[in-house]
Amino acid sequence: MACIELDRLSLTFRIKQQGRRSLKDLLVRQIFQGFRSPVTKIRALQDINLQIGEGERVGILGHNGAGKSTLLKVLAGIYPPSRGRRLVQGQISSLFDIALGFEDEETGWENISYRGFLQGETPRSIRSKMPAIADFSELGDFLNMPVRYYSAGMRIRLAFAIATAIEPEILLVDEVLSVGDLAFQHKARQRMREMMAKARLIVVVSHDLESLANLCDRCIWMDHGRIHREGAVQEMIATYSASVESNRNTAA
Amino acid sequence: MGGYLISVWRCRYFWLSLVKMDLRNRYRRSVLGVGWSLLHPLIMTAIMCTVFQRILHAPMPDYLIKVLAGLACWNFILSTTVQGCQCLYQGEVYIRQYPAPAAIYPLRTALGALIHFLLALCVVIGVTWYFKGFDNWLVLPSLIPAILLLFMLGWSLAVLTGFSNVYFKDTQHLCDLGFQILFYATPIIYEPSDLGGGLLSRLVQCNPLVPVLKLFRDPILDGRLPDPSTLGVASLAVSLLAALAALPLWRLQKTFIFRM
Repeated sequence: MACIELDRLSLTFRIKQQGRRSLKDLLVRQIFQGFRSPVTKIRALQDINLQIGEGERVGILGHNGAGKSTLLKVLAGIYPPSRGRRLVQGQISSLFDIALGFEDEETGWENISYRGFLQGETPRSIRSKMPAIADFSELGDFLNMPVRYYSAGMRIRLAFAIATAIEPEILLVDEVLSVGDLAFQHKARQRMREMMAKARLIVVVSHDLESLANLCDRCIWMDHGRIHREGAVQEMIATYSASVESNRNTAA
Repeated sequence: MGGYLISVWRCRYFWLSLVKMDLRNRYRRSVLGVGWSLLHPLIMTAIMCTVFQRILHAPMPDYLIKVLAGLACWNFILSTTVQGCQCLYQGEVYIRQYPAPAAIYPLRTALGALIHFLLALCVVIGVTWYFKGFDNWLVLPSLIPAILLLFMLGWSLAVLTGFSNVYFKDTQHLCDLGFQILFYATPIIYEPSDLGGGLLSRLVQCNPLVPVLKLFRDPILDGRLPDPSTLGVASLAVSLLAALAALPLWRLQKTFIFRM
């Protein structure tokens, strides 16, 4: 049974302004205490309580920097929480930064293989999916060429085709709904709907409110690292849109 | 630890594909390609023998084979340690997308270096057969546990330098400098006895790489199995290093991403 439970979860980034420490920092700055490198604390997530059960399709919206992507990465197990508890049951498949992680010197076919392996495929399973992935990407003979000759749009097509060839249990999606040209976007949306129909639990982050309305039944509004409100997707979208409009009018 | 190794094994298709890709990329568009892995130790050995054989009055072809075998091991340890410094940064884009065990990135480095080492070892065996012949081929399978120990040594070093470089950026420079010193503190181009019986000779004997080198040199050069004590000391040294490498994997596996 797939489920997600976050109990009073917080995540704080501690950023040292100097970045990585050198030997000079250790020897000189530690001796002269007053020159210690300051640490900036960024409270990316604060006191998050969240339960998502099997069959739920949850959207996350909010302003830039609200903590949406950070929350997804905590759910995926990439970031450990600073406080609180994370419980996720089920096999997680995540679609984050899908345009990253291409090996430029390798061909499209080879990238399909090793990105498939990253997603947990075996050589046999990825071989059986290759024709469908190639067909969906519509890249044809370009797949025989190194990826460094691809345009940005072609990379996105290939990344999306590979990333959505999985059969997810828990699907975490971060801003991959608007990909490629207009024709490909229709195809991409249809593919996302198919994936979501197969998944047992979905969490989607997107600024595309129309997609959220079509794909999700529940919505969480994140604001400055906290869950500001949550409820039915239409209600949340309306409230969020009204709030953004109101802020814009106030600023003007 | 067993559970951790199982999780590493589960990702095997991914890290094996990275190793394959690294090998392809290393010699892409190169004329000699993987031939460089064979040529490099041969040329270095020829230079070392030309320069040092006269100074040390060492008998040939034993000295040639000894230096060749020593350099093959040394190059493996050097490349896993120095390239290991960047292994986590090399895998950063995957680390930020997929919560795999961090040990797979140093493993990628160590496996790539191991393949080059095995090619160099074939050259060593080939050169030995050509110049000396083998009285006792049956001891050569004893190289298998030696290779496994050397691999574990390299993987552990890559883990340590990889994590260290995330928290302390001068690690790479310290490794470069440290290995320059360590090269002359390791009996690759000389025997410890060449230093006289004094403190320096005893210090060199304490170098944990000495038993590891003997595990390769004894079967190839002398056609005999290594002493059980040599295997014991080498195993102990590698085990201690592996235990040390397990520490960052246990304590820092989840949090090192915040320092990248």
